[in-house]
Amino acid sequence: MSMYQVKPIYEGAIKADLPTCMYTIPSVHEQQAGSSHSEHAHQNGESDSAVRALEARQDEIMRKLVELKAAVDGLAKTVATPDADLDLTVGSSLASPSPTACTFSGTADLDALLGKDLGALRDIVVNANPAQPPLTLLVLHGLLCQRYRVLSAVHVHSSVSAVPAQLLSCLGAHQADGCARHLFQLGFTLIWKDVPKLQMKFSVRSMCPIEGEANVARFLFRLLSPDPTDAALATLVDSWVDTAFFQLAEGGAKERAAALRSLNGALGRHSWLAGPELSLADIACYCCAVHSGAAGAAPANVQRWMKACENLGYFSRATLQ
Amino acid sequence: MPQEDAQGSTAEEAQSKKGLKKQQKEAEKAAKKAEKQAKLAAEQQGTEEDDFAKDQYGNSVMVQSQQKLDRELIRIQDLTPEKADKLIWLRARVHTSRAKGKQCFLVLRQQQFNVQALVAVGDRASKQMVKFAANISKESIVDVEAVVKKVEQKIESCTQQDVEVHVEKIFVISQAEARLPLQLEDASRPEGDGDEDGRATVNQDTRLDNRVIDLRTTTSQAIFRLQSGVCMLFRETLTNKGFVEIQTPKIISAASEGGANVFTVSYFKTSAYLAQSPQLYKQMCICADFDKVFCVGPVFRAEDSNTHRHLTEFVGLDIEMAFNYHYHEVIDSITDTMVQIFKGLRDRFQTEIQMVNKQYPSEPFKFLEPTLRLEYTEGVAMLRQAGVEMGDEDDLSTPNEKLLGRLVKEKYDTDFYVLDKYPLSVRPFYTMPDPNNPKYSNSYDMFMRGEEILSGAQRIHDAQLLTERAVHHEIDLEKIKGYIDSFRFGAPPHGGGGIGLERVCMLYLGLHNIRQTSMFPRDPKRLTP
Repeated sequence: MSMYQVKPIYEGAIKADLPTCMYTIPSVHEQQAGSSHSEHAHQNGESDSAVRALEARQDEIMRKLVELKAAVDGLAKTVATPDADLDLTVGSSLASPSPTACTFSGTADLDALLGKDLGALRDIVVNANPAQPPLTLLVLHGLLCQRYRVLSAVHVHSSVSAVPAQLLSCLGAHQADGCARHLFQLGFTLIWKDVPKLQMKFSVRSMCPIEGEANVARFLFRLLSPDPTDAALATLVDSWVDTAFFQLAEGGAKERAAALRSLNGALGRHSWLAGPELSLADIACYCCAVHSGAAGAAPANVQRWMKACENLGYFSRATLQ
Repeated sequence: MPQEDAQGSTAEEAQSKKGLKKQQKEAEKAAKKAEKQAKLAAEQQGTEEDDFAKDQYGNSVMVQSQQKLDRELIRIQDLTPEKADKLIWLRARVHTSRAKGKQCFLVLRQQQFNVQALVAVGDRASKQMVKFAANISKESIVDVEAVVKKVEQKIESCTQQDVEVHVEKIFVISQAEARLPLQLEDASRPEGDGDEDGRATVNQDTRLDNRVIDLRTTTSQAIFRLQSGVCMLFRETLTNKGFVEIQTPKIISAASEGGANVFTVSYFKTSAYLAQSPQLYKQMCICADFDKVFCVGPVFRAEDSNTHRHLTEFVGLDIEMAFNYHYHEVIDSITDTMVQIFKGLRDRFQTEIQMVNKQYPSEPFKFLEPTLRLEYTEGVAMLRQAGVEMGDEDDLSTPNEKLLGRLVKEKYDTDFYVLDKYPLSVRPFYTMPDPNNPKYSNSYDMFMRGEEILSGAQRIHDAQLLTERAVHHEIDLEKIKGYIDSFRFGAPPHGGGGIGLERVCMLYLGLHNIRQTSMFPRDPKRLTP
């Protein structure tokens, strides 16, 4: 239109209470006001793409709920009749029959976290220097394996001449069904490479590499459980992760001792570092403490907490044996 | 000139005086000339008489094996500071020569190594000898007796930087023609340098037309030494893995893979074909219980494509092996062989790689161990993410191959990877279909720097299925009867692949034309030399 436009002084879509006993005609005002495309589209019965996406999501959620219901029913059946076999659908929808299922609350949807699956395996590539094995990431990899179907692979880059055997087997035994890549939800590729700083690459087109073990650990942990909604708690976890890497792992003897003291203090108040549940803070601090060799001389609360960590079972990889 | 000034001032009497002066001058000139000539003659005579070094240089008689001299010739690469002050003999080519007054600097070359030589007037060498040395044409072969001397300043232009040799005797064994069709310096000038300074470069065709001289450049020397290394490492690795090397016929009665692009040769009263690959024969060897075989030999393709990576004759490195349960055993075997070759080249051919890099700079070749394996559908998905539109079962076009190579390199930082599970429709009839999805097949390609170097698959080892597939591809069953028949008497499951030697060398070194890694390349436009 070559002339100026004014905004309508009243909303086109005012819902007036019309009597229903008579026939209706489409609103004249709505047609006039409907100059924008989206409104036209609405009148023609085409829903907005956002609405459609919302609908699709709702359908997906409903489908999942039905699945979950079936799974719970199946479980109830097995509980009621202990010798009944778990049927396959139950097995696949509850792919985490491990302590983590209860440890990490909150569902993490891979599509939402990592973008839509377009047919390629969602492969997380970690470039690590064999001189500094990323223990935290190995533990997190173990946890990921319990939650998702993860295709793990270890490679040696040509910039590194030789790598000790235990680093080659650090992601567990070779998977026999590794030949059917499309069956996996997630890929975890560890490449021993001559890099100054640990590096993670995921989607090279849309994401820059993530550097530093702490940051990669944060990324991986989000795949297991979403960030706490409580900002204070989230900050607390974050600050413990920093303490772990900057003071426990890289710091001098004094800094390490200070960090252990503050760990001891925090563990006096709670059983875990950030509240009543195990979090990334515990994983990072445990791994860094083990790596720095500070474990032996640790104060009492820390000793008790380390024992508790070990009892969980999935920290065994941090010792790299 | 003062003479002319005088002329100007006394113009009257000039005529007679001028004539007189002129005569006088001419006489003087003639006298001087005569004197000079006499002097020169005398000098020449004199030098011929007192050229004390006349036995120390000259053109040697043609070596017809007249005598067997018990003389040790030193290799130029062995000329190190430890040999300082020793008197040695060496045979080399004159790479360059530069005369400067009483001195003549020669650069003597042996293959990729060279050393500076000095002929200087002194108590062992005469003026005439220096002159002789300066006049030896480039690329001539000479025998030199010389003393090795340490130098204070490194000689940057030579490979032997810490020493030079002081020549005492020099004999020409084989003289090169003075006019060379191409200059070695021009042929080995780093890529891009010539364009900037307007200095000469040599184009590909000139190089190939004069291949003998072009091959003398250090770059060519290094390329073909590395190529030999690839063959050696290929044989070494596979022999260690228990493979048997076989020889297969190159003249065959039927086209092996499809009737197109095959050379026909007359064969007495009928015609025959040149083998496009040893495919059928290596498979027959598997059926004959050789278990694991490889062969190295020429392969012929009558493709009229003039690209940087196609030749009509090239060397195929072919592998075929029986496997136990899964064709990934074959992939693992082949990729491990490739990784061993890459490692061998990296560790044992570093000098050659550096030399090629000097002229054609490229990033070092990167790889992972074990090799990265992706599936075709994943590759397609990656390309789509990058904005390429292609169908699920379309073959990869060359630009898409390159793009995929770049994407893989960005994420995994590897120049070598395997793409597995190609669509069945783009592979030859003898490819085993995928057990889970009939659209795909148990076949794979391997890529170096984004270009295909190997194509392979699990082969159908069941005569009935093979017949079905051949019928589906509308292949005349009569023509491949012998091939199908070899699977009738029990055949182990097997797979393999063929690698192009020239492509491996080209891509490993990051070169841009396959003619650089083929010694005497054959393409649709070139049959000579």
